[in-house]
Amino acid sequence: MIKRNNKFYNKNEENLSKTYLNKLIHSDKPIIIYKIKRGYYLFSDFSEKIILSRKNINQFFIKVQNQKNKKHFGYVGFFGYEILCNLIGIKIIKQKNNSFPMGIFYKPKNVIFLKESFINNYSLKIKHSSSFKVNLSLKNYTKVFNKFVKKIKNGETYQIKICQKYINKSKINSFSLFVKLMKTNPSPEAFFIRDTNYSIISCSPETLIERKNDILITKPIAGTMKKNKKSSLAKAKKYFKNNIKESKEHNMIVDMERNDLSKICKNGTVKIKKLKYIEEYKDLYHCITKISGILKKNISTKKIIQAMMPGGSVIGCPKINTLNLLNNYEIENRNIFTGSFGYIKTNLDMRFNVIIRSILHYKGKSEISAASGVVVGSKAKAEYNENYIKAKSLINLFKK
Amino acid sequence: MIYIIDHQDSFTFNLVHLLSKFDEVYVSNYFDINYRKLSKSNLVVFSPGPGEPKDYPITSDIYNRFKSKKKLLGICLGFQQILFNEKGKICQQKKIYHGHQSKIIVLKNSKLFKHKTIYTVGRYHSLKLFEPYYSDQIKITMRCTTTKVAMAFEDNINKVYGFQFHPESFLTKNGKNIIQKIIFA
Repeated sequence: MIKRNNKFYNKNEENLSKTYLNKLIHSDKPIIIYKIKRGYYLFSDFSEKIILSRKNINQFFIKVQNQKNKKHFGYVGFFGYEILCNLIGIKIIKQKNNSFPMGIFYKPKNVIFLKESFINNYSLKIKHSSSFKVNLSLKNYTKVFNKFVKKIKNGETYQIKICQKYINKSKINSFSLFVKLMKTNPSPEAFFIRDTNYSIISCSPETLIERKNDILITKPIAGTMKKNKKSSLAKAKKYFKNNIKESKEHNMIVDMERNDLSKICKNGTVKIKKLKYIEEYKDLYHCITKISGILKKNISTKKIIQAMMPGGSVIGCPKINTLNLLNNYEIENRNIFTGSFGYIKTNLDMRFNVIIRSILHYKGKSEISAASGVVVGSKAKAEYNENYIKAKSLINLFKK
Repeated sequence: MIYIIDHQDSFTFNLVHLLSKFDEVYVSNYFDINYRKLSKSNLVVFSPGPGEPKDYPITSDIYNRFKSKKKLLGICLGFQQILFNEKGKICQQKKIYHGHQSKIIVLKNSKLFKHKTIYTVGRYHSLKLFEPYYSDQIKITMRCTTTKVAMAFEDNINKVYGFQFHPESFLTKNGKNIIQKIIFA
């Protein structure tokens, strides 16, 4: 079933649209797909593409704030990590980068609702090269890790996330990788961007901002449990309840996200809706908390983004000092990793995720990043391995 | 009005919402003080934050300038900041409490809280007050029930107060009541 411009097509039109859909997907036209409840949004036919930079970011927000034509959907795209840092006054210097844009937004003319099952219409078997190299060895990781442990003991940070990158050289069929990923590892914040010179394939699990009218919701994730043959949802619940380290890490993120919402929400409206519930994924379990608040009057989209991004759960705490520490120690630009993908509608409702569990394909290379937290009580090797668990389901896509 | 001096912490706005239940709140970064508003306020709050007291000389100046002229409250780093200016030594503790929930008990010398009351509170600190600590005016009034680490002090003559724990954390039960005692002190 295909729904377009909020009107259901009859059967003939449905068939017609299927051909339309196939043509679109197999063409080389830019498309964006974003997971929603019970299906996907497919965005296409972009009338505008804005490549974000430090120079035009303010203009972009002015444009977003003053969208007039309510018949349009709005803007869909992503903010990279660096531009989000810049937006809160943090500069990054001396990092290796591959000159990938700091963010890109598109204005779609066409938005189609696709049922979840649409993915089953495609079975593309393409083998991709799978020899990934990691940019940080266990030895070097341990060095950085130990430095941060010292900083935690000194009180300079309470929690910090070290990022690792897995990179390979390959030609890919990005849509086939996305289909494969959605069949094996669907997630609530998955998305796909295919443009002429890059693509992003993501199974992000984490919602950073959901805005409907004046209600804001965030659902931070902190806590990962690896799956094995014996694990179950009940066991995961028990694990998160009894594991003091995971629990403390999670508490910190809850207070931090309450804080970020409190910057822009009316006094006394920030509430924990659901504390520490478990979601199940292909290779792991996650511990999540849902927090909501009611927006103050006259808060702009830019202010909301500055208050909430980059998402605290992937940075550490307290945010400003931890970001400065991270940027001094990480040698490579995070690019899209821990940025945010989503949309801002013409009525200013929005939805943004945290970009994690993602493949960025650019200039003939695919990169997958992962990060895990240093808190007191964490062990370098365990965190190093946790990063690999997080990247594994993406790396495995490249295998047969 | 309540003035919160923010040490760029990620918990400060939880405190803003908690204090807003009692009075109008103004908040600014520690390096961007609005002195006109500061002098008009009747309670100055030193927020939590990263690092240690000696990293924040401006805050120390403000403390010394307004002590005994205004009611002052320090939380976490702010608690340590005040003690540091009152000849206290701040040191690392063996176990680090970040996101930790503890039980703390009110001591006999508290004027604001009932003796032997036990509170459940949230903690985020790697540093603590080095003890023994002696002061004519400042009395330690709450301690962790297990480690005995200092968790609150009162100087009821100058109206200077401090909490090592976070009354604004979701881990703290009755945080509003705890703050209320300071407001009405």
